This record gives sequence, C-alpha cells and structure tokens, in this order.
Amino acid sequence: MGRPVSLVRRSLLARLTGRRLVASSLGAVTGFVFLALYAPILLVAVLSFFRLRRGKILWDSFSFQWYAELLSNRQLAEALTSSLVVGFFSVLVTLVLATLMAFYTDRQDTRWTLALRFVIFLPFLLPPIITGLSLLVFFKEIGLSRGLITVIIGHSVFVLALVYQTILTRLQALSRTLVEASQDLGATRWQTVRFVLLPNLRMALVTASLLAFALSFDETMITLFLVGDNATLPVRLYAMMRVGFTPEINALVTLILLFSTLLTIGIARFVGRDAGAQVGL
Amino acid sequence: MSGPGLQTTAAERTRERGAELLRLALIFGLPAVFIVIPLVTFLIYSFWRVEDGQLVREFGLGNYVEFLRSDSYRFVFGRTLFMSLQVTAINLVLGYAAALFISQRRGRTKYLMVLALIVPLLMSYIIKIYAMRGLLGTNGQLNQLLMAIGLLSEPSDLFLFNLTAVRITLSVVLLPFMILPIFVALERIPASFLHASADLGASPWQTFRLVTLPMSLPGAVAGAMFCYVLASGDFLAPELVGGTRGFTYGRAVFSQFGMAFNWPFGAALSVILLGVAMSVILLAGRLARSRWADR
Repeated sequence: MGRPVSLVRRSLLARLTGRRLVASSLGAVTGFVFLALYAPILLVAVLSFFRLRRGKILWDSFSFQWYAELLSNRQLAEALTSSLVVGFFSVLVTLVLATLMAFYTDRQDTRWTLALRFVIFLPFLLPPIITGLSLLVFFKEIGLSRGLITVIIGHSVFVLALVYQTILTRLQALSRTLVEASQDLGATRWQTVRFVLLPNLRMALVTASLLAFALSFDETMITLFLVGDNATLPVRLYAMMRVGFTPEINALVTLILLFSTLLTIGIARFVGRDAGAQVGL
Repeated sequence: MSGPGLQTTAAERTRERGAELLRLALIFGLPAVFIVIPLVTFLIYSFWRVEDGQLVREFGLGNYVEFLRSDSYRFVFGRTLFMSLQVTAINLVLGYAAALFISQRRGRTKYLMVLALIVPLLMSYIIKIYAMRGLLGTNGQLNQLLMAIGLLSEPSDLFLFNLTAVRITLSVVLLPFMILPIFVALERIPASFLHASADLGASPWQTFRLVTLPMSLPGAVAGAMFCYVLASGDFLAPELVGGTRGFTYGRAVFSQFGMAFNWPFGAALSVILLGVAMSVILLAGRLARSRWADR
C-alpha cells in the first residue's frame, strides 16, 4: 500500500514544483521586461545630476547645473513653444472633427461610414514614415510650404483615430433612451447635443484631449518630414542627439519624461473615473 | 395665414440644409483631402522620375525596376524584413510570458503593472532610443555591468552602431505594443472556462495549451502585427543607434528625401514598404479571425 501513495505524493510534489518553476520563470521574464523598459530611462535621469568621466559617474559631482543651463537655452525654449502651439491646435482640430464624426457614425453601419472609419484609421495603422512622406509630397504639390501649419495637419491626421475611437466608445455606451427622451420633450437636435450628449461625453473629451496632446507632444517621425524652421521639441532633440551626448540633453529628457509620466497617470485616472461613471449610470 | 410663419420655416430649412452640407463636407471632405489624396499623390509620385534635379511628371516603372536591379537595395530590404521578424519573435516570447504573468496578478498589483506598461508607451519615442544608446555604448552601463560581473575583460563595441544595437533597441521600445494586446486577450477569457477545464481534470499545462493559448492568440497576432509593421518601417532607431553598419530600409527611404533628394525613388521604396505593411495587416486580420475565433 505504501508504494502507490508515495508515488502519488511524488508526482504531486513534482507537479507543484513544476508549477512553481513555471510561475517563477514567468516572473523572472516579467522582471526582465520591466528592467529593460525602465533601466535606460532611469539611468538618464540619474546621469542628469552628475558629471561623467569616461562613462564613469563621478558620484561627488551632484548638482542642478545642467538644469540651470537648460533655462538659458533659447533654441529649446522656442522648440517648446512650437510643441505647445502644435499640441494645442492639433487637439482643438481633432476634438471638433472627431466629435462630429462620432455623432455621425454612431450606430450607423452604411458603406460610407465604414469607408470613413477605414480611412481615419489608416494613418494610425500604417508606418509613420508613410503618413509623413505622403503628406510631404502632397504639400509640395499644392504649394504649401513647410511650417507649423503642416505639422499641425500631420499631427491631427495621426491622432484623429484615437480621439474618434475614445469619443465613439463613450457615445455607444450611452443609453439610446437619453436621446429619445430629449426628443420627446421637444428639444431640437442641437439642444439634445448641447444639453444631453456633450455633458455625458465630458470625461471622454478630456481623456481624448490628454491622449492626443501626449501623442502630439512626442511625435517625431511624421514631424521630421513636415517641419520647417520652427522645430518642435522632439525634432530639436533629434538634432542635438545626432551630434552626441551632452548632460544638458539628459536634464531635458528627464523633465520631458517626468511630464509624460504625469500626463499618462492623469489619463489613467480619468479613464478609471470615466469607467466608474459608466458603471454608475 | 400664408405669411411669415411658413417663410421662416423655409428659411430655417435652408439654413439647416446648409449646416448639414457643411457638416458632411467636414466629416467626409477633410479625411479625403488630407488622408486619401496624399496617399494617392504619393503613389503617383512613385511612377515619376527626377532628371538633372528636375521632376519629370511622366508615368514609368523605372523606380521599381531600379529597386529590383539594385543588389544593395534588395539586400537591405531583405535584411530589414528578417531583422523585423527576429525582433517580433523575441518580443512574442518575452511579451507573452510577461502578459501571462501580469494577467495572473490581482487587484492593485495588476493595475500598477499595466500602468507601468502604458507609461513607456506614451513616452517620447526618440528619448527611449537615446536612453538605449547611452546604455549600449562602449562606455555604457551594459558594458560596465558585464565587466563588473566578469563576463567581459574590456569594453566591447558589440552593442552599439551595428544591427544588433538596432535589434535590441527596437525590441525594447516595441515591447509594450506586444504585451498589451496579449494581456487584453488573456483578460477576456472568462475565469469559468479555466475552472471548467480544471474541474474536468485537465492539468494546468493542458488548460493552458487547449484553452488559454488558443483564446489569447488573436491578441498575440495583433501584437506581432504592430511589432512587425513598426519595426520594418522604423528609421529613427537605426539612425541613432545603427551607425554605418546598421543600415536599414527605413533609412534608405529617409535618405532619398534628405541628401539624395530623389523623391520619386523614395516614394517607390516606401510603396514597397507599404505593400509589406498592408500584407502583414491583412494576414494578421485573417489569422486572428478565421482559425481561432470560430472555435
């Protein structure tokens, strides 16, 4: 009798250790993944406070020197302004357009709305280099010279799909009876939009704006083809990076990373609250 | 009674029709002008040519013939596609394991881990590449680490300014694109399916192979698609970490619009890339739908 029991126990033990082995190796891979994603970035942040000699960090050289030098860099200030202007107008344009499109295509699967959806998503799915190049060639043909306007158009085209999808998803989650009730009470279509739909879409609009701004603020590949003399921040960074490393870049990069991290967490909180609101409805 | 009342409604109707037309013009006109027409213009451009620095607007297949004839372009093209395949394969393995691990966490831990994946996704692409370059260089921290643990006796230049550097960098920056779709697919599997499988006597491995894996495959396909399309068209990572030895197809395209200034040829090169991207997207769509979703 003893033999089978011990056999069972042994196989159970083997299975348990096997399972633990699988779990811990999955954990190890995940740890490696997070290390690969964050180690390079954190290193840059650390390096922005120190001096380097032959790649070795001089630990006693801690200072805010590189941050102070950023403040006096005129080119960077100009690039930051360009980025903010581009971000603001891209968000504005896509919000209006995407809201119109979402209202129009909501619960309507005609051939036209499907085609529209396909076209909107093209710049998002295709390699950015294609979107950038096609706009570059197009602007050349119609004689529009490169500048902030062409960059704003490029960014709007790129983020439109995400903004549209964010608004549409919220719109589709809204109960149809809201609109019907509003119409039964004698509201015009505009009044329904103004007093019923838009207030309910507020969170989605905020989320979409933040998302669009974050994407626009970081966009580099499309921008490189469309930018004129007014470089945006990533384009200016790219030009600086091609030359080499400077501690100034590290400081700037750290600030940008901090900014986009806060932006992402902000978006996540809005999305979370929005989801909560949907459950509450 | 005929008077003003009716007239205002007529005026209102005209105004409403005007607004409706404007709305349609915005909704359909703008995407047509700024997405469809540029892509078409671009396609047409690829059939034109440049002679003595002048654009010749005549239809011809010269650019495509030049690509097919040129050994170096074909070589770079093949090498880039193969490299993208390697990057996708590495990320598929790493990404699937990580997604599986994260999906098995609970509550706050899971939420924070997902957030930690999304944060790098919205970080500036160019900054991530720059950070990788610092890590991989001869004076970089990877070399210092390998020397500290005794794997290397002197700094190696193996990790920067070659194709390996491009592979590593692309893998790292594209990892979230792989993990998130797989994670979403794993989350959609109802827990009851897994319980049912276990109740019916399946071992964890059998449950994984017969339930979890097939049901998460559409996510893996989507992740692989993103990875492949983005890797094959990228020019920033190779430009910044590739050096002269890490020349890729994306850079070949980019250089036509910079120094070489042969836009029609550059357009033709990217139309070929577009063909690859489109085929991968269509193939992914078919894979995700047909075989696995029906089960």
